[in-house]
Amino acid sequence: MSYSVLILDDDADFNSLLTDIFEQADYIVTSLTDPVEAVDVFRETDYDLVVTDHKMPEMTGAEFMKKIKQIRPEIPVIMVSGYLENDTIRELISEGVGGVFLKPLNIFSLLERTSELIAEAKKLENAPPQDSGSEPEGEVDAKLGFSFRSFPCKTGASTSFAERLYSLRNFRSTLTLIGEKGMHYRSICEDIRRFYESDAEQFVYLSPGSFDSAQAISLIEGAKKQGAERVTCVLLEVENMSAAQKKLAATLPKKDGDFGEVGVNLRAIYCVSGDLDSLFDEGLIDENLYILMGTAEVRVPPLRECNIDIGVMAQQLVVEMAREKGMAAVPRFEKSARDLFREQPWLGNYEELRATVRKIMDSDPGDVLTLSEVKAAMNLSEAASPRARFESYLSSQQVDLVRAAAILFGGERAKVAGFFAADVNEVASKMQ
Amino acid sequence: MQEHRALILRSNRFLGSALVERGLVSVDDLESANEKFMEAIQSSELKRASILSTLLFETKSLEEQSLIDHLVEEEGLGLIDLSYIDLRSLRPYNVDVSLCWASSTIPFDKVENTFMLATCYWLSAPVVKHWEELLEGPVIWYATSINSMTRALEQVEEIHEAEDAAAAEE
Repeated sequence: MSYSVLILDDDADFNSLLTDIFEQADYIVTSLTDPVEAVDVFRETDYDLVVTDHKMPEMTGAEFMKKIKQIRPEIPVIMVSGYLENDTIRELISEGVGGVFLKPLNIFSLLERTSELIAEAKKLENAPPQDSGSEPEGEVDAKLGFSFRSFPCKTGASTSFAERLYSLRNFRSTLTLIGEKGMHYRSICEDIRRFYESDAEQFVYLSPGSFDSAQAISLIEGAKKQGAERVTCVLLEVENMSAAQKKLAATLPKKDGDFGEVGVNLRAIYCVSGDLDSLFDEGLIDENLYILMGTAEVRVPPLRECNIDIGVMAQQLVVEMAREKGMAAVPRFEKSARDLFREQPWLGNYEELRATVRKIMDSDPGDVLTLSEVKAAMNLSEAASPRARFESYLSSQQVDLVRAAAILFGGERAKVAGFFAADVNEVASKMQ
Repeated sequence: MQEHRALILRSNRFLGSALVERGLVSVDDLESANEKFMEAIQSSELKRASILSTLLFETKSLEEQSLIDHLVEEEGLGLIDLSYIDLRSLRPYNVDVSLCWASSTIPFDKVENTFMLATCYWLSAPVVKHWEELLEGPVIWYATSINSMTRALEQVEEIHEAEDAAAAEE
């Protein structure tokens, strides 16, 4: 059954984009740019959901929502906007908005939320009133009031994590993220960056492979040129850094040594995989960092504690990989396949999930990703021999390596093929 | 004290985090205290290296009464003023007084197999764990103030010095 959606946005281009998104997802769309007209049309038509912009000349999205809620309060409303103050978001939520999405949009999340809201509204429409305490154990409706993408926040663990990060967003000089191996620290730090709307707040990323004072200062200077008044340096894999890099990492937020001359405020986010006390005992974290990291530390929940999130994360990866591959349609997991994702322990966390999804997507799947395809990918990654696992790992890295070589050789296929001692056509297909 | 360096680092790190978690100090205050603590560690003044003393007496960002109220009301600890205790040598317990300084903790009595310990670092799990593993027998914990602890440890040091002098005379 197709549901009907009213889209209101005074920006004709964005309105058209939203219309395309919803039409491609099989919704029947009415697209309007004038909020006054939209109220009249809403009064005369049965819609299942409304998507509205917030900043419009004649009335704000919040005012529009109030008007249509007076007509039919049960119809869910999603707000889409380029920028919203956190107080506005909270106010919208308290007034009954079903979702707030900031541009640039995560299309998958928008569609996911749309279908959830319609399903909830239909359920309420068809069922007698019930107590609200009927959510499945461990699942919470995460109306965070701020944008957070690294975890879908459908479990208590991931929601608490997101809320703790948000509460610490104004940390003065250091923040430490401690988790198991395979966590997606970069995405998490991107979420922290999105807590700030202004260009005055910039993040730079430093890894053991390349981190030295020259690189850090160059990145900081680059951020300054983009208008940064404060730069947050994200130090990835701190436990794998050399002694000199660790020393540098500790001096960075204090603006000591080489960083004394940078004319901008500095902060550091230390990302560590493993148990900090064990790493300290093993000498992988020095005294200075050990104490610095104790100031504001946040434990990143492993995937197995966020099992309801995993299916959504897998689908997000599919969207990302489908875009990389230029696929016309984004494949979707069938329900049993998503359930299977939830049941796995994911000891390698996000990296293992990504590798599994990569394997599925590299097998030229159809529009529906079936349980058997997922099982096949998981069997390869978990139950096979070490040799098979290594082959599988190399295979999953193959495309990335070919693309990196293509950049190195300026896209010349023959040179790339020569570098890998491989057939030109085979290399060309990987490059695409 | 050097032999207790790792314990000092760990116990103070835990104490700082615990104070923040319980809302007794802010992240910013802890950050300032951590800087002073590391200065003390790096200058090897380990007796001075205490996050708690720094927060109480240097940055003045924590009131000892609030901490003691929390320990008694929220953590269910008994409170003791060591100046009312007849302190004795720690040697029969095989306890080094430098460990007491490092962890702001003192065993002040033993009834049958049960040790009575007073501490300023109850919120620091490594301190509690270290002592409970060290002492052979059950432990009853009490909270005490920094001043009470300092006076008690100084008194115990005097007792040890007197013992040493007596032994030298013999």
